[in-house]
Amino acid sequence: MEQIAQKDIVISIDNVSYDYRSNSDEFVARGVKGVSLSIERGDFCVLLGRNGSGKSTLAKLLNGFIVPDSGTVLVNGIDTKNDDRIYDIRSKVGMVFQNPDNQMVASIIEDDLAFGPENLGVPREEIEERITWALETVNMSEHRKRSPNKLSGGQKQRIAIASVLSMLPEILILDESTAMLDPKGRAEVMETAMRLNKDKGMTVILITHYMDEAVGADKVFVLSEGELIGQGTPREIFRDRELIKRAYLELPIASSISLELIEKGYDIPFALTDEELVEGICKLK
Amino acid sequence: MQIKVENLKYTYSPKTPFEKVALDDITFTINDGDTIGIIGSTGSGKSTLCQHFNALIRISKGKIYVGEWELHAKKLDLGALRQAVGMLFQYPEYQLFADTVKDDVAFGPINFGKSKEDADILAKYALELVGINYDEVAEKSPFELSGGQKRRVAIAGIIASRPEVLVLDEPTAGLDPQGKREILDLVTELKKSYVKTVIMISHNMDEIAEYCNRVIVLNDSKLLYDTTPRELFANKELLSQTGLQAPHTVRVKELLKDRGIDLQGTPLTQAELISLLGGVL
Repeated sequence: MEQIAQKDIVISIDNVSYDYRSNSDEFVARGVKGVSLSIERGDFCVLLGRNGSGKSTLAKLLNGFIVPDSGTVLVNGIDTKNDDRIYDIRSKVGMVFQNPDNQMVASIIEDDLAFGPENLGVPREEIEERITWALETVNMSEHRKRSPNKLSGGQKQRIAIASVLSMLPEILILDESTAMLDPKGRAEVMETAMRLNKDKGMTVILITHYMDEAVGADKVFVLSEGELIGQGTPREIFRDRELIKRAYLELPIASSISLELIEKGYDIPFALTDEELVEGICKLK
Repeated sequence: MQIKVENLKYTYSPKTPFEKVALDDITFTINDGDTIGIIGSTGSGKSTLCQHFNALIRISKGKIYVGEWELHAKKLDLGALRQAVGMLFQYPEYQLFADTVKDDVAFGPINFGKSKEDADILAKYALELVGINYDEVAEKSPFELSGGQKRRVAIAGIIASRPEVLVLDEPTAGLDPQGKREILDLVTELKKSYVKTVIMISHNMDEIAEYCNRVIVLNDSKLLYDTTPRELFANKELLSQTGLQAPHTVRVKELLKDRGIDLQGTPLTQAELISLLGGVL
């Protein structure tokens, strides 16, 4: 007998709009308009969209960094407009940003990890345990007593993730956290995020311009001009050429090549990854 | 303008406990007309090397000739050199500062001694060259523009001084796919103007494969390879040594080879790969 499991919704956004305003009439940076979406616990989600499409605005709405002008954002059922609960929300939604060099507050890595929980009054022994666990999780235990300034970009971002983990979040948001890294650093951060998702069941929301980083996601959301214009599995999203064009995205190279071969009359399936493409080509032979 | 680097060595914080060799005995030549990629992992010395080309870092050991200039000479006309060798840093949009786009772009030429009128003409030309609609954007604040536009304005600010050599430190980092494509196409366009030589640092091997005719690989402060993208990406062992990843097109070729399908050649672009595939399918 088939059972329909009750979906465990960890983030629910209902008809949310947000506008940036400044004193100048001319200057109105774009925000988000009428966005509704929900994220299931344990999902690996990717937000795609061109520069200025509203991705980072949406991320900031998720941890109550900003609150919507209209509509509601619920995190674990708590409204981000509820001032009394804002620290509950922020400790549940951890954010890592783009620049590895400006997210460290301390000169020794373990102090950096202790900063968040200390602020919340977590007992010293428990902080110690959390630091040990968080550093193990990102494979940086041996750096515990060192200074962060000698680390590579990828290592710094892993420490930034560990600092967020020390708050025991349920949701990890990576806002273009791989953008400034070299390929090795990018791979390290992606591997860490994937592992947290698969092994620890953490909900991950990744914002990126690298289409390759979206192909392994459970769900992809596409923003354009502040509006949500598409959501689905990576395969559904990248097959929709109209959507990709409208959002000014591009296809993963394997997808683009498979489509060109299909157009040339070859009978191969649409591919998301290099491996899938090669599989399809081999079947032709 | 030829650039010759001879036995260049650079050490950060020399004679202190923090001493670190950033460049170790680097020798190579950049020819007039090259679009040369400088690649290597973070900390391999790419930016340090490039900051030598317009004497932002003065040479402590070794020699660099940029056309007629000897950068290792004691006396150097820095103004003229920096006009000839334009340098675009990472995330250049953070360096925009003036009230209007026009003034921001004209700042360079004025600094190099042009009159306000001449600088405005140069600024207009540079903005049009980077694909910015002058009449629409000139009087706007640079901070009103989109990310891709800001970066193009920043590039205009460099090329308004009419450099012959353009040094770009990760010019597409942080841009969306369309923004990346625009900047790279712009670099190709610029090479049809007074910009003769482009030196580009990048972590994106797909970009290097498609746009550069030569590539310099730095590894741990040393020059590991001075070659063409095709040679470099054809050599699997060489790549893995440096921790670099092959472009997707080359990866597909390698994966096919493992499955017994041998494409003759190293495809650097999608079109090349498709055409090689046509030969075996």
